[in-house]
Amino acid sequence: MRFHSLSKLTRPSRDPARRAQDAPAGPALSDEWSALMKAAQDGHGGAYRRLLNEMSEWLHRYFQRRLPIGDVDDAVQETLLAIHRRRHTFDPQYPFGPWLAAIAKRKWVDQLRSIGRRPTEELPEHLSVGDHEAAVTSASVLAGLLEQLRPAQAQAILLVKVQGYSIEDTARETGMSSSAVKMNIHRGLARLTSFVEKCDDVD
Amino acid sequence: MTSTEALIRNLTADLTPVRRRDVWREAGALLALGAVELALILAVQGMRPGMGRMILSPDVAWKIGSLALLAGVACTAAVRSFAPPARPRRGVELTLGLAGLAIIGGALVTPAAESGRSLLDRLSPAQGMICATSIVVLALPIMTLLAVLMRRAAPVHPKRSALATGLAASLCGALIFTACCPMNDPLYIIVWYSAGVAAVTAAARWLLPRRFRL
Repeated sequence: MRFHSLSKLTRPSRDPARRAQDAPAGPALSDEWSALMKAAQDGHGGAYRRLLNEMSEWLHRYFQRRLPIGDVDDAVQETLLAIHRRRHTFDPQYPFGPWLAAIAKRKWVDQLRSIGRRPTEELPEHLSVGDHEAAVTSASVLAGLLEQLRPAQAQAILLVKVQGYSIEDTARETGMSSSAVKMNIHRGLARLTSFVEKCDDVD
Repeated sequence: MTSTEALIRNLTADLTPVRRRDVWREAGALLALGAVELALILAVQGMRPGMGRMILSPDVAWKIGSLALLAGVACTAAVRSFAPPARPRRGVELTLGLAGLAIIGGALVTPAAESGRSLLDRLSPAQGMICATSIVVLALPIMTLLAVLMRRAAPVHPKRSALATGLAASLCGALIFTACCPMNDPLYIIVWYSAGVAAVTAAARWLLPRRFRL
């Protein structure tokens, strides 16, 4: 069986309570992080360590909802590196939350792109799986995302990237040519990425 | 210790103070570069004859006024777009909307005498190519400066920021070129200035997002 991590793609929630959980921080915490970042910009290592530790917890929660579990750590570290490299761009006159959320969202999109480019992997037939919650959530979210695509694109992505069919099998199954299957996957993934990019999830 | 904890330890180990990004300093650098370019082009080509008198005529006032407004809006949009929470699309849309209004304004201020001339005569392709090329040349240093500022900042929409950068650089180039451009016909300005602006904007949109990594 082949498996592609796209099946764990998650979409930002429309539920206000869940969106609130996704927000970088409440006003008080955002002010605190803003003060810590200001101190970090002035070279205060202790404040910076505390800020990065607190942010990494939030980033873990943020990416756990949006990425396959195996990609979460990478995304958190990439985001922390980006924050470190661009810390001089934070203006303490403005709230910290939107600054952090914008960088995290960018890194999320980058990670989705890299998932789309990643080759599919062969997995053993009998693989023990611990927790199904993320997969179940991802499946329902994926179904919602696929509704945004044309039927041919959704079908090609579902068969090849999710169910693990080969291009040739999918072509036979759907009556499309192999190149049409590839093109539908490519365009469908591009459209999904573009759709995800346009979502204002954590403003 | 997890790899994230190790990363945090490394990042905080030798933390040095950083100089905060200052949009006013960036705007000042842009203004200074524009002033240098203006001084250079005036030294090389000289100001167009009768500029003091003609600046009061509707078509010349329209040309300089609308380009100054567009360049100001586009530069603001570009510099603002380099901050993570910014939305460059709004700035680009505002610039393009104002450009549309400026084109309509150009049609309104076209002198009656110009309307009687043939299209080829009004467009004057040989002179138009010189104008468009000059705009591209004048825009390049400004685009380079904006690219450096973009690289040092943190635009989270690099493609849209690149578009805003291209518009800003080309409109600044066009504004500087008005000091020595001998043509006043709004149709000519719209066609050839737009060609220069479009070329620079397309190049910026294509080139700048490459090799940019947040």
